[in-house]
Amino acid sequence: MTVSPSVEETVKKIVTRIVRKQEGEFKPNATFKDLKADSLDVVQILVAVEDTYDIEIPDDELQNVSDMESFVACIERIIANKNT
Amino acid sequence: MSLEGKVALITGGSRGIGRAITLRLASEGADVVINFFRKRDTAKDTAEAAHSSGVTAHIIKANLAEPEKIDRMFTEIEERFGRLDILVNNAASGVARSAMELNSDAWDWTMNVNARAALLCSQRAAALMKDGGVIVNISSLGSRLVMPIYTAVGVSKAALEALTRYLAIELAPQGIRVNAVSAAAVETEAMRLYTSDPNIPRSMVTSTPAGRMVQPEDIAGAVVFLCSDEAALIRGQVIIIDGGLSLTPLSYTSPGDRGVQNASA
Repeated sequence: MTVSPSVEETVKKIVTRIVRKQEGEFKPNATFKDLKADSLDVVQILVAVEDTYDIEIPDDELQNVSDMESFVACIERIIANKNT
Repeated sequence: MSLEGKVALITGGSRGIGRAITLRLASEGADVVINFFRKRDTAKDTAEAAHSSGVTAHIIKANLAEPEKIDRMFTEIEERFGRLDILVNNAASGVARSAMELNSDAWDWTMNVNARAALLCSQRAAALMKDGGVIVNISSLGSRLVMPIYTAVGVSKAALEALTRYLAIELAPQGIRVNAVSAAAVETEAMRLYTSDPNIPRSMVTSTPAGRMVQPEDIAGAVVFLCSDEAALIRGQVIIIDGGLSLTPLSYTSPGDRGVQNASA
């Protein structure tokens, strides 16, 4: 039996790969700014997440994203809506 | 100038200049494949508008910074249409920074989307242009003129224009014509990325001899012309669409029509 990694684990790997940080720096209350992510990093993160889950993250959803915890929650919500 | 029966791929074809090109090619009868980056609804909207011209409109999501996504896009085109007649390399992205602030990621991203993708798309497109074809690359004045925080895009557009010349010669024996259209700042959403000054459009209008800013439809018109048989012997050229802006060394203000002025009494 294969256990799929959680959304948080997957997003952690994507974010830390793109901003070139250790996975330990991906903390729930860390902001993109804390992770030194510039605008290009954020675009690349969004594209990678969208490709991974075959979803589209609307700009208005991102308005409510303040840190990694809310980012993961946002993605989980979009995935859940897609599957309903 | 009918393009009926032709199949055209427009990269970044869902909005701004790309949308105008898509709709104009469709209005001339070409079936259109609209590549888009992230916004599926925007692409669908453009496809519906193109379809109202009575042509087939197909959308494909692909991040052109990734060669494997480009490959996948062309495989889909080959499976669905079996051919390609027109490629418009329009997709563009860029990091708005001065030269001293550019890092290698920003440089690579901009060059990959604006120049490398045009090469990779042209390679795959040429193989599908069995009866010849047309490639049009969309450039900008930043390839030759220096604009604030436009370094990466400007350099990538210079590469695109050089690529246009090399491809024009290399693909001529296959009956594939390659040219570029270069524009001054076009009134689109993307222009807002490079300026927060609300007065820019007004100052550009007053300094453009033609008396108005370039619109996406102006670019689309030039693209359609280059796709037509009327442009059969135009090869490897960069057609500038700027209302004369790049010819004026100083901010130009139209003096109005003063009639005939004799220099000598």
